[in-house]
Amino acid sequence: MSCILVVDDEPIVLNGCEATLTKTGYEVETALNAEEALEKIETGRYDTIVTDLKLPGLSGMQLLKIVKDREPETDIIMITGYATVQTAVEAMRLGAFDYISKPFTPDELRSVVGRAIERRRLLHEERLRATKNRVAFEYNMPADLYYLPEHSWVRVVTENTVDIGIDDVFQKTIGVITDIELPSKGTIVEQGNPCAEIYGVAGRVYKLLASVSGQIVEVNEVLKENSSLMNSDSYGEGWIAKIKASDLDKELGNLLSGDAMIQWWLRREIVERKTDRYVQISALDPNFKHEIAKEPGGENIKVCFGCGICTATCPVREIDSRYNPRKIVHMALLGMKERVLNSDFIWLCSTCYACTERCPQDVKFTNIINAIKNIAVKEGYIHPAFTAQVDLLAKHGRLYEIDEFDNRRREKIGLPKLWTGEGSTAKILEASGLQDILKEGTD
Amino acid sequence: MKYALFLGCTAPTKARNYELSTRRIIETIGIELIDLNGFECCGFPVRSVHYESFVLMAARNLIAAEDAGLDICVLCSACTGTLVEVNRYLASNDKARQKVLSKLGKKDGKYGFAQNIKVKHLIRILHEDLGLEKINSKIKRKLSDITVAAHYGCHYLKPSAIYDNYEDPENPRSLDELIEVTGAKSIDYLEKEHCCGAGVLAINEDIALSMAEKKLDSVKASGADAIVLMCPFCGAMYDENQRRIETKFQKSYNLPVLYYPQLLGLALGVDQEPLGFRLNKVKPDSLLEKIG
Repeated sequence: MSCILVVDDEPIVLNGCEATLTKTGYEVETALNAEEALEKIETGRYDTIVTDLKLPGLSGMQLLKIVKDREPETDIIMITGYATVQTAVEAMRLGAFDYISKPFTPDELRSVVGRAIERRRLLHEERLRATKNRVAFEYNMPADLYYLPEHSWVRVVTENTVDIGIDDVFQKTIGVITDIELPSKGTIVEQGNPCAEIYGVAGRVYKLLASVSGQIVEVNEVLKENSSLMNSDSYGEGWIAKIKASDLDKELGNLLSGDAMIQWWLRREIVERKTDRYVQISALDPNFKHEIAKEPGGENIKVCFGCGICTATCPVREIDSRYNPRKIVHMALLGMKERVLNSDFIWLCSTCYACTERCPQDVKFTNIINAIKNIAVKEGYIHPAFTAQVDLLAKHGRLYEIDEFDNRRREKIGLPKLWTGEGSTAKILEASGLQDILKEGTD
Repeated sequence: MKYALFLGCTAPTKARNYELSTRRIIETIGIELIDLNGFECCGFPVRSVHYESFVLMAARNLIAAEDAGLDICVLCSACTGTLVEVNRYLASNDKARQKVLSKLGKKDGKYGFAQNIKVKHLIRILHEDLGLEKINSKIKRKLSDITVAAHYGCHYLKPSAIYDNYEDPENPRSLDELIEVTGAKSIDYLEKEHCCGAGVLAINEDIALSMAEKKLDSVKASGADAIVLMCPFCGAMYDENQRRIETKFQKSYNLPVLYYPQLLGLALGVDQEPLGFRLNKVKPDSLLEKIG
């Protein structure tokens, strides 16, 4: 059961929130101020904290900063009676999940908390997938838009006209959208204040915050007939409204875009310990491709032009998409050394050589993947199946032991005794240094 | 025709029917196979983890054959690929050869590798060195009542560059022709050139079994009475693992898997017993009845 901590200095608000959330099925605890909340956080673990922005002593904003420092994965929802853009956007920039304005209805509270809980569930699932499969899905946010993070986007159409819509994360956390209450044409909206209501399954209502202030000049009526466009094409056909912005230059400054958006995501990813899903320039090793090229078999990696025939022809790829030869070459050329060497997928080659035969550039991918695996082993990454095989070879000279009993069985069916070796394989593995490498890897 | 017989790891332990039938047919067709002391694993299992060990292990076997003055006949396709590749590499790369010989405590100058000895798969020896005509002259009964699906596997043909492009890996013919010389019909089928999946079996069983399943589906759909192959790894996938694949994918194949020497042995008039059919996991009773 998800556990929620509600912080508010007004007992009537506190009790109301507790009652609503308890009825919804959450475990709820309360605190009358930030100090009491911090004491509870010391000993308890909360999935979500709902806190008033204005508290006696430490403010809600200070509580947000402290909690995000200590428990970065906790989602925090701000309650504010002062729904101004500064407080809203600043709180969200500091990592608040969302905010609701007083007065709010039980449904509004349930919706926003439900969205936070759903987001946690999605992240958890995604991490599980990422553990098994490092090529997990990623959020898809066009680079040319401005964002109220995890909520809505703005596309500048003309000097002072913009389109707005919901972003990927908002859409994924509310799930299937069943309907939308669009604003009326001519309505004046304010940045950070609700401008539309979106309905999810089970009648959940979600407030969409306006990402800029101005007058609604057009709404996407198609959504009334086909609300699923917001799920399937949230940045395109799923746009929500066109706004004649009143103070666009200033308000765009309150939003995130381009590098700032990337930095925001990276920071979020870092605090949520998911950095490995993103390519970070500092983690790239431009020498990796040269290192591969120096290994026997890796010589031709740099002539790959990425036509993908290796991937198209690979029988393993047909069954398991984790093994993607073109992608592996691409990652290697890019310098993603750690991620490639540390991956499970490099061990999935069946050595059928179909890629090698069909490659127009004679890259010899089968040999490339062997070169990569050779480097992986030197760096301490080896699939346990190979460690076991090397042990068997050292002990028996073959992958399977042939002892006197086996030889008697062979003779019984008319086969000659097999030579049981003189330990030459063990000597070779010692002389080549492979056993030392494997020992180092396990130490 | 005399060769050193290289059995590798899998044939003498997991595919004794292959070894039995090979030893039996070569007596009839006039090839002499010598068992050499000094042969251990070819080196293929360590290729992907440590290239130097791979070369040293292969070289050790090649040296044993060169010491005996014999070309090598190999039953396993992966062993063939390994020994052929290293034999060529050490013959053409002086520096590597010197280093390898030094590590193995051998004198340089004595060993020429591919300059002195050849490494060939049994099937290529039958097809190229012995020839279809000679085999045909030994056939005692034509197996015209059966239709089989030839499975070439991967390493017998690929990488084609190390085999001097002996066959087009996209459209190979040698095994089909060797099947046809027995009188059996070799049928074309989808996925004919596909990998059996054995190369990934130790790493990911699901992938390996799924790969084998695809091929078994295609062969079954072709109406073939059996699969005929030439590699103990492929045999392990289609014969030893056939029941597991049936259980895993809720299918029924009951498709006999024959090593080529077993098929040729029947056509040569050899009794069933010395051809090792009782060691086949999928019992080929109905096929043998059909042959009569």
